[in-house]
Order: sequence, then structure tokens, then C-alpha cells
Amino acid sequence: MVASLYGPDQEAKSIWIYLEVDGDLLAGVSLELIDKGRQVCDQLGWDLAGLLLGHGVSDLAAEGFARGLDQVWLADSPQLKHFTIEAYTQAAFQAITAARPSVFWLGATPDGRDLAGRLAVRLRTGLNADCTGLLMDADTERLVCEVSGFGGGVLALIEMAEHRPQMATVRPGVFSAGTPDHNRLGTVVPLDLQISEDLIKTRVIERSTGEQVDLTSAPVLIAGGRGVDGDFEMLRNLASLLDGEIGATRPPVDEGHIERERQIGQTGVVTRPKIAICCGISGAFHFVVGIEKADLVVAINSDPSAPIFEHADYCIVGDVHEIVPALIAVLNREREVALG
Amino acid sequence: MPDHDNVVLIDDNLWGELIELTDGEAALCFQCGVCTASCPWGAVRQKPLTVRTLIRQAQLGLRGENGDLWLCTTCAQCEVLCPRGVDITCVMRALRTIAWQRRETQEGLPSLLWSIFWNNNPWEQPPSQRASWSSDLQIPTFDPELHEVLLYIGCTSSYDQRAQKIAVALTRVLESAGVRFGILGEEEPCCGEAALSVGHVEYFDEVAAETTQVFVRHGVQDLVTVSPHCYDVFKNHYPELSSNLTAQHYTQYLASLLDEGRLQFNTGIDLPVTYQDPCYLGRIAGEYSAPRKILASIPKIELREMEMSAEEGLCCGGGGGRMWLETPVGERFSDLRIGQALDTGSELLATACPFCVTCLDDSLKSQPASRMEVLDIAEIAARAL
Repeated sequence: MVASLYGPDQEAKSIWIYLEVDGDLLAGVSLELIDKGRQVCDQLGWDLAGLLLGHGVSDLAAEGFARGLDQVWLADSPQLKHFTIEAYTQAAFQAITAARPSVFWLGATPDGRDLAGRLAVRLRTGLNADCTGLLMDADTERLVCEVSGFGGGVLALIEMAEHRPQMATVRPGVFSAGTPDHNRLGTVVPLDLQISEDLIKTRVIERSTGEQVDLTSAPVLIAGGRGVDGDFEMLRNLASLLDGEIGATRPPVDEGHIERERQIGQTGVVTRPKIAICCGISGAFHFVVGIEKADLVVAINSDPSAPIFEHADYCIVGDVHEIVPALIAVLNREREVALG
Repeated sequence: MPDHDNVVLIDDNLWGELIELTDGEAALCFQCGVCTASCPWGAVRQKPLTVRTLIRQAQLGLRGENGDLWLCTTCAQCEVLCPRGVDITCVMRALRTIAWQRRETQEGLPSLLWSIFWNNNPWEQPPSQRASWSSDLQIPTFDPELHEVLLYIGCTSSYDQRAQKIAVALTRVLESAGVRFGILGEEEPCCGEAALSVGHVEYFDEVAAETTQVFVRHGVQDLVTVSPHCYDVFKNHYPELSSNLTAQHYTQYLASLLDEGRLQFNTGIDLPVTYQDPCYLGRIAGEYSAPRKILASIPKIELREMEMSAEEGLCCGGGGGRMWLETPVGERFSDLRIGQALDTGSELLATACPFCVTCLDDSLKSQPASRMEVLDIAEIAARAL
């Protein structure tokens, strides 16, 4: 195996996190990784640094410090205005080879996966992709990554002995974000970017983002089937109280009650929320495929023999038109109490 | 700068590749267009699936928009009428093979192949759960010393809860006939039909080679499949198997058990029933009589044929990889088929394929007033024991 550009004997005792920018904020997964990284670094006495790339993003460094970073390596340049794999790889490569961190984590988002793969090859190091768990072995100072395969049937624990940085992309939602402490301070290390224009082969002609919903990353999913009788307003109310998204089986989509993008299942979206509440859904196999990766499934159906109950952790036999409004009423009451 | 909008790009290799992949079949086409006219897509869409045009474009080396290519359910309805006897499903599959090679594939299909790769099934289900349908049944693992046949369940009947009932019913029927049979349980390999149906021949060949090894290792000689799709690949696309392994669809096997007097139906089913010919049992395998024989052997049952049956049977819409692609409402063959089935006044719609059951069941759900029930013949047979 080819040696990485630097090895364990040349590494800096630090964990690096790629700070992905989502709109005007740091992406949720980056905040989650900062929190996890902070805990590990406190344990080991290491430094925690973030890599922030973009244009007009320098203000976000403060948010990174508030969340637990000691350093932010910053490249703020018009060349980084949009994510292009060439420029971002070059910038990240330059920073990593200068600082030589022991560990580098990225969110397993479309951009994060793209960047991590190319960067790992350039650094001649390994990459544990799409991890569902991270553990630092305090004795060996090696990162142990948990990767699931074969549809979740096998969990592999992988560590990297000789190659640095120990890279991993981590699924959003595996860790939780901590609370910010806005009095926390850190150091910004500006990066003197050396990217020639002809390196960037990608030209952004137009950037258009539709009203796209991303059900794959919604932590709470309220799904409705034929039994909802098209009353998705009711489900939308429930979803907004739980900060969730709504989805549907094929029949309500066919009948035009909800847009096609929200169809869940084999020919729709495969979701992996923390909680899925299935309302008036019988549980045909091609739908179940789309929710079975949920951590917790609650099913509401008036038919006690509905197959959905075999896939649910909590089974509520009853009319969705009675149960969901009752649930909404309770949640509203709780909220009023909480708000005082 | 040339105006690229008006440039026609000729792909000189296209026709040659198609001829090679189809073993010359594509060359027989003389462009009469009966295929396009007889394709069931014409009954549900304004613009039919232009089978003839797809072949013509390949002859000319034209690589146009080929989204239509992925519509084909490989139901072979066109083949029945083709005056030149072209194996059109083979041609369509070969065009898909070429599309994969040129990376012009349909969204959703690569993940289907990955699922077979990672999970040993096209449904993204955990391999460890493959035998869970049989956990209460105590079905022995196949042993060539003890068993007459291997019952090959297939991925859909292993995982799809609706289709699992077909497998359970079939084991009851076989037990009642005193058949000594076993299954491979968690070790049962995927047959690879899903990969072949979307035209990825290379990967299919890989799956077929591995699956053959599993059968050889277990000493399998006679196998009976639940799905006509698995049956088709074992019978027609597993060349290494053909000499020392015979595959039958379960309807054929049950029909032979009836002939031998081993299987008997003692409970009458006093209902009118109609039968949906699965394409891969009917037109592709030429088996129209075995399923009808089973139904006819059940006391009191009355078989009413639908419009478009046997050789003209209308596809459910699930073949050719369409089980993994969405079909817009209003364009589903199964909706038409349910209408034809209801027209017979039957209370049971029988079929003999898990894909047909899924598609027809789905379409029937949108007819809440109907009393009709979709059942696989194995389930009807189990009720009649």
C-alpha cells in the first residue's frame, strides 16, 4: 500500500472538521461533528479545528468557535463562491498538508462525499465513508469508524494504522449538535490560496434551487396513506408542531392530494427519520421499503390486521381523523405550557 | 462553430453491436410496425412506445432520445404478431445493454443493481431476513438425499409481505401432496432476473455464475420456482445449468402432481374466477394450460376468461424492470386489467406471479366498491385442499 503524504509520526494532535456552508449558516452536520469533536479533544487534550471555505463566509468562524472550535482555517475567496470540486479540493489539500491533522471529518452530504473521495486520493490516505459511529481509542490514538453494510445487517469497525489524516464522512443525524457558547473565542488562520483559474474546469452558468424538499434528511416524518382521505392539512399541522416533513404513499399522490416529490417507497424516496408516524397506511411492501430505516415507527390504522403494524414500534388502532387531531391538541397544549 | 442543434451524430457501431448482442435477431426486422401498433402502451398513452422506431434508429446508427426504451415491460405481446418472428424482447434488452455501456441509463436502476450486489436481492432488504417468511413453518433445508425438489422462493416472495403469503400457501399445497421438498433459506441466492430485465447482461452473468455455484454445492437437480421470472432465467438464460438442472414453474409442477394423483382438492370454491396470464409464464414460456388445469381441478370453481387472455394476455406492467420504476397514474396496464377482470363478473382474479399480484392488488385498491380479490393460484389451491 502506498504511504500517505504524512504518517502518524508527523501528525499534529488535532481533529479537523470540514465546515459546510448551507445558505448563510453552518450545515447541521458540521455542528454535530464539532460537538462530537469537542468531546473527543477534551478527553485527549487535542486541538479542534474547522476548515471553512467559501466567499463572504468569514463571519461564520465565530459560530464555529461558539460551538467548540479552537481554530478556524479560513479561505475566503471569489474562487470559492460556489462549490467546485477542483477549487475546494485544492484549498482543502493545501490546508491539510500545511497543518497535518491526525483526523479529518466531513459530513456525508453530496458535497462532503464528493470532496472527501477526491481529497483522500490526493493525500494517499484512506476514507471511511458514510460512518454511523466514531470512537477515538485513547491508548492508540486511532480513530475507530463504524460503517454499516449489507442493508444494516453487518457493522464493520475500521481503523487506519499507518495513513493520515484518518478521514471519515459521517451521516447527518448520527450525533447531535451542542448548545453554542457565544463567549468562547478562537483563532482564525487565514489560508493564502494558490489556485490558478485554469485549474477550475467547472463553470457555474446558473444556479437554480427549486422548492425542493429533502425527505431523506427529515428527522420527523409524518406519512399519510389512502386512509387520510386527502386531509394532508391535518398532517401538515402535526408536522409543523414536531418540526417534521410530510410524505405520502402512492394513492394520495395519484389523486393529486400531495406532490410526487413526497412519495415514499420503492419508486419514491427512501427515508431514514428518527420518527416516522404512518397515518392511514395499510403497509404494502413497496411503501414499507421507504420507512423501514426509521429509528422508530408509529402506525395509526383502523384495521388491526393492517400489515403496517408488523413494521411499527407503536401500533395505534383507530381512526386517524380522531387520533391525529387529539395529538395536535395535546401538542398545542404542551407548547402553551412550555411558553408560559 | 457548427450549429450543434442541427448536427446528426451517427454511431457507426450501434447496429453491429445490436446484431451481435441479439445473435442476428434484430436483422430480421423489416419495419412493418406491427410491434408499435400492438404494444399495450398504446392503450394507455397518447404517444405509444414506438418499438419499430427504436429498431430503425439502431439500424441507422442514430442515438436519439431513448427514454421510451425503459418503458418496455418485455411482455412480448408484439412478438406474437410479428410477421418475421423477431425476438423483440431480446432486441429491447440488447438496446438496454448498449445504453448501459454508453452510460445512458434510467434514474433508479443503478441502485437496483447495487441492491443485488450488497443485499442479494433487488429490494434493499437485509440478507439475514431472507428466510423470515418461513420462521414458523419448519421447512427443512434442501438435501439432495432426502428431497425430490428444491423450492426456489425468489426475492419478492421472500421479502414482500403480500408475496410471502404465496410462498406459505405453496408449501402447504406441496406438503398436502406429500412432496419431499426443501428450501435454501438464508442461503438462497438471487436469480439475477432484475439485472437481466433492465439489460445489464454483464452483471447478470456474474450473478448467474455465483448462483449456479450455490446450486451445484447443494446438489440441486430439480427446482421449482414461485415466480415465472426466476423460472425464465433458470430455464432460458443459465446456459451452464441446462444440462443437469431442470427448472419448473410451480404451476407446471402442481399440474404434474395432479396427473400423478398425488395432489387432490377436496374443498370446493363456489366462485367465478378469471385468470391473468403472467407474461413470463404465458407468452415467454408458452405455458397456458397448467394454471388453468389447476383451477379446473378445484371443485365448483367456474373459470371465466377475460378479454385479452392466453396469447393475447395483457401485461400487469411489472416486467422488464418496471417494478422499480414509477408509472404515472392513468398509464398503468393493471388498471385496465382490473376493468377487464371486473367485466367477467368474477370474484377471484387468479394469477401466478408475485409481480402480477402486486400490480393488480394496487389497482384493485382504487376500486373500493369491488368485491373481487386478487389471489395467486398457489393461494387458491391452498384454500381448496
